[in-house]
Amino acid sequence: MRLRNISVYVLLVLCAVVMLFPIAYAFSISLMDGKEVLQGHLLPREPSLENYVAAFERIPMMTYLLNSLIVALLVMIGQVVLSSLAAFAFVFIDFKGKGLIFMLFLATMMVPWEATMVPNFLTIQSLGWLNSVWGLSVPFFALAFGTFLLRQQFKTIPYEMYEASQIAGISRFRFFCNVVLPVSKTPIVTLSVYSFLTTWNMYLWPLLVTNTEQARTVQIGIKQMQSNEVASDWGVVMAAVILIIIPTLVLLFAGQKHLQEGLTQGAIK
Amino acid sequence: MKKLGLFAGLASSVLLLGACGSEEAAPVAATTEDGKTEVVFWHAMSGDLETALNTQVDAFNASQDDYEVKPVFQGTYEEALTKFNAVAGSEDAPAIMQTFEVGTKYMIDSNKITPVQEFIDKEDFDTSVWEENILSYYQVDGKQYSMPFNSSTPVLIYNKEAFEKAGLDPEKAPRTYDELKEAAKKLTTDGQTGFTMLNYGWFFEQLVAAQGGLYVDNDNGRSGDPTKAVFDGEEGQNAFNLIKEMYDEKTFLNVGQNWDDMRAAFQSGKVAMYLDSSAGIRTVADNADFEIGASYLPVPNEAERQGVVIGGASLWMGDGIAEETKEGAWEFMKYVASTEAQAQWHVDTGYFAINPEAYNEPVVKEMWAKYPQLKVTVDQLSETKPSPATQGALISTFPQSRQSVVNAMESLYQGVSVEEALKRAADETTSTLGQ
Repeated sequence: MRLRNISVYVLLVLCAVVMLFPIAYAFSISLMDGKEVLQGHLLPREPSLENYVAAFERIPMMTYLLNSLIVALLVMIGQVVLSSLAAFAFVFIDFKGKGLIFMLFLATMMVPWEATMVPNFLTIQSLGWLNSVWGLSVPFFALAFGTFLLRQQFKTIPYEMYEASQIAGISRFRFFCNVVLPVSKTPIVTLSVYSFLTTWNMYLWPLLVTNTEQARTVQIGIKQMQSNEVASDWGVVMAAVILIIIPTLVLLFAGQKHLQEGLTQGAIK
Repeated sequence: MKKLGLFAGLASSVLLLGACGSEEAAPVAATTEDGKTEVVFWHAMSGDLETALNTQVDAFNASQDDYEVKPVFQGTYEEALTKFNAVAGSEDAPAIMQTFEVGTKYMIDSNKITPVQEFIDKEDFDTSVWEENILSYYQVDGKQYSMPFNSSTPVLIYNKEAFEKAGLDPEKAPRTYDELKEAAKKLTTDGQTGFTMLNYGWFFEQLVAAQGGLYVDNDNGRSGDPTKAVFDGEEGQNAFNLIKEMYDEKTFLNVGQNWDDMRAAFQSGKVAMYLDSSAGIRTVADNADFEIGASYLPVPNEAERQGVVIGGASLWMGDGIAEETKEGAWEFMKYVASTEAQAQWHVDTGYFAINPEAYNEPVVKEMWAKYPQLKVTVDQLSETKPSPATQGALISTFPQSRQSVVNAMESLYQGVSVEEALKRAADETTSTLGQ
């Protein structure tokens, strides 16, 4: 038994090392100067924080970080609110063509984002939302995946409970807030983390709808530091990358417990 | 690389959508708070290049009181082009747009640009001071469509120390294919490979053009619309044979498609010679622990060397914008083409000066003393013989074609024959030409 435990832990540690290597190496590079990076050293000879200073000087990092944070939070809230309300309707409310509408809803998952990018852009442009947080966030509010995820969770709530609440004269919205949401905490946290991370990592859309440095997000900043024809200063790029993954790591640690439960939920049943 | 193919499709759908746009009102020039006309400038310069670009813009803004140029980074050339097409003709469109050389035909066909020739004619501006070889790339039907801005060419870069160790003369770089193969053989040791080249269409185009070979028919698309890709002819086969033979002899290292991977291989001594863009030389020299040399692109036969094709990008003027804004854009273009601005630009970035007089400026002289490699690149360009081959091909589906060439190069390493690989890439290119 002990032997088994040890081998399991060795395996886990090995996996952790493999998974963490890119981040650790990025951190190591962020402390090197350009020469060392290109010569392929693993560890910096003279670690220095100069690259971090340079990262802040090269691009308006604070503005970008703040924008990313606002947009990611907005999208997260928007997706959770809309997905949970939609999922509630699909589970508890009877209306004509429910099945068909749900199928249509799911079918939108098959449409690649790139295909809708240009029409979306033209809509945002005519609304005058270029360079605003609305242009960056509103197109992502409706999420078929989120609705589906929450619908599966809501379906585990006995329908009789809903009927009982109806007889007791409790409004649908109260039932939604007081019963449905509290028991669905795990998938909601999962969805929140998921939507925060995907929004945080978006590149092409923010690039399309913003034209000023005041409105741009961190991923554009990272791209701004890399060049093709001329060698990039990878130390500075990695310093920026490390700064940018901090918020996402914080979020992951905070939501870890719920996230694990949420992602494995479907598998156990 | 997927985006590369996507962009053309996206862009063309935008063209369609844009065509059914609203009625046109006379565009009004945007102004800044202190009453200057705002000139928005979209570019794809990132990293150190962006810093150099901003220096130029700041200098221009400080030099006069009427216009304020606002540089905006728009991602890679492909991404910027997609975005340009989405907003062209609307009030969000930029006054100045930087596009890479292979986007030239595409920009002309978009009908959303103002040829700079209009302004050259209006002012009787003397263009003879500019480097002919650079100008000719952006000239179509005798008309100057855009203003060359950042131009570069390929060069052979080599490790002088490794040359000495292998018993080669470090001051005499290989200039023909045979010399290159010979040197690579001597340079290949346990931890070091002789030569490499990025799997990137641009280098292949250059190797073909250096032999005087055409990329597409109708004089590289310059005397009429191209109908067929012809780069699978003798010249293309020479280039591919070189790669294949060296790869089979293990004197060629496959470094993939990333520029910095290739440079890292060179810096860490894994490879002794490689092809790079002239714009990259300075940082390579700064980062290397050893002395580096630069030389001309190799050709099969020295006597028949034709020269190189200009790479890089040019500045385009938007259309459907206010006249004042256009004037501002033109003033800026003239400014960046001036001798002093070009000298500074060449020194800061390693891109060519489109105005050869810039090379006489003291800043450039100083720089050349420090980086003699830069001068090699300038000489290589000025020795180029103007012809349809060295003018470069003019096709609107260049991004797709480059991807086909990359696939062909990669299939070589898997053992596909030179003829077959080239033929496939050429057929794919031909099939996109009709679209």
